Amino acid sequence: MRKMTAYSIKRILWESYPILVLCAVISLAAGFVLNLQIESIKALPLILVMVPPINGINNNVCSILGARLTSALAIGTIKPKFGKQSALRKNTQASWLMSLGVFSFSSAVFFLLALISGIEFLKSIMIMFGFFAASVAAIGVTMLCTIWLAFVSFSKGLDPDNVVIPLVTSIGDIIGVTCLIIVMKIVGV
Amino acid sequence: MSQSVNVRTIVIQGLAVLMVCAAIEIFVGNVMGAMEEHLVATLPGLILVIPPLLSLRGNVNGALASRLGTALNTGSMESKFSMSKELKVNLISSLILSFMASATIGILSCLIGALLGIEAINFMVLITIAITAGVLSGVILAILTVVVAIFSYIKRWDPDNVTAPLMATIGDLVTMVSIFIIVFLV
Repeated sequence: MRKMTAYSIKRILWESYPILVLCAVISLAAGFVLNLQIESIKALPLILVMVPPINGINNNVCSILGARLTSALAIGTIKPKFGKQSALRKNTQASWLMSLGVFSFSSAVFFLLALISGIEFLKSIMIMFGFFAASVAAIGVTMLCTIWLAFVSFSKGLDPDNVVIPLVTSIGDIIGVTCLIIVMKIVGV
Repeated sequence: MSQSVNVRTIVIQGLAVLMVCAAIEIFVGNVMGAMEEHLVATLPGLILVIPPLLSLRGNVNGALASRLGTALNTGSMESKFSMSKELKVNLISSLILSFMASATIGILSCLIGALLGIEAINFMVLITIAITAGVLSGVILAILTVVVAIFSYIKRWDPDNVTAPLMATIGDLVTMVSIFIIVFLV
């Protein structure tokens, strides 16, 4: 569904700027959530180190899913509704497997980082499970949003490249940061 | 891009790229952790602009990579490093977008900070950091994006599964390092 017309600076700016501002506002909310929890961050600076990985991986997995879904919608192998569809199920399955793999690896790295920074063994284990739980929660919610946005943009005829992917990454920022803060509160570190 | 959905192939191809991305992201996290002092104490409000600046980079350069990929595939751009009109238009608009969006992020974060009563924000410093870090990383990344787009076209990497995640992650890295450098200069 990519447009073949020649590019002009004016057209690229005109099409991209509004959505970038919308995304900036959404991502600022993620920054605001972090700012609200500045005391927790002071207590455990490792939370700061977790922000780029949880957001980055979340964005990558869901951008891949979004790109695959919008292509599948365009050629008709997926219909824009939730429910039993083999192609939709396989795509989400693949995304889950990928994220579980990547998040297990990252959680293990955070366990080591916690140990190295002088945090005791049991607490490091809690941090590891905390990061893993937060990532899994975040990816689940973001994937739902991705599927929904892909369906909506397809039904409304919006360009998926310019709409779905930017919105998914910004919404993913809020979801990632919120899950991280909530889980770290629950595990009490 | 092949359209048959084979879970095994997607997972194997995707996982390899994502592991590399995860390792880079954890490094980016450590750069952010190294700024802890500035984030929690000396520069209130700075933490507001970090998520939007990171996402902005991914969005601007993701779109640039995708447009270049389309241009390469349709033949309106050749896979060599010469300044064609197509490439020039794409590069210039990405740089203008970087500047406009970074400035917007700086101003918006100041407004939000003021509205929500986050105290002691130094507005000029925050806007300066947003714009200079945004433009610095924008210039570096525009060049890197062209190189990666052409390279991945020659190597026949899948633009959705390989190039896009890789660009997003490199974007985070360059942006965070730019913010780090600017914060320590200011």
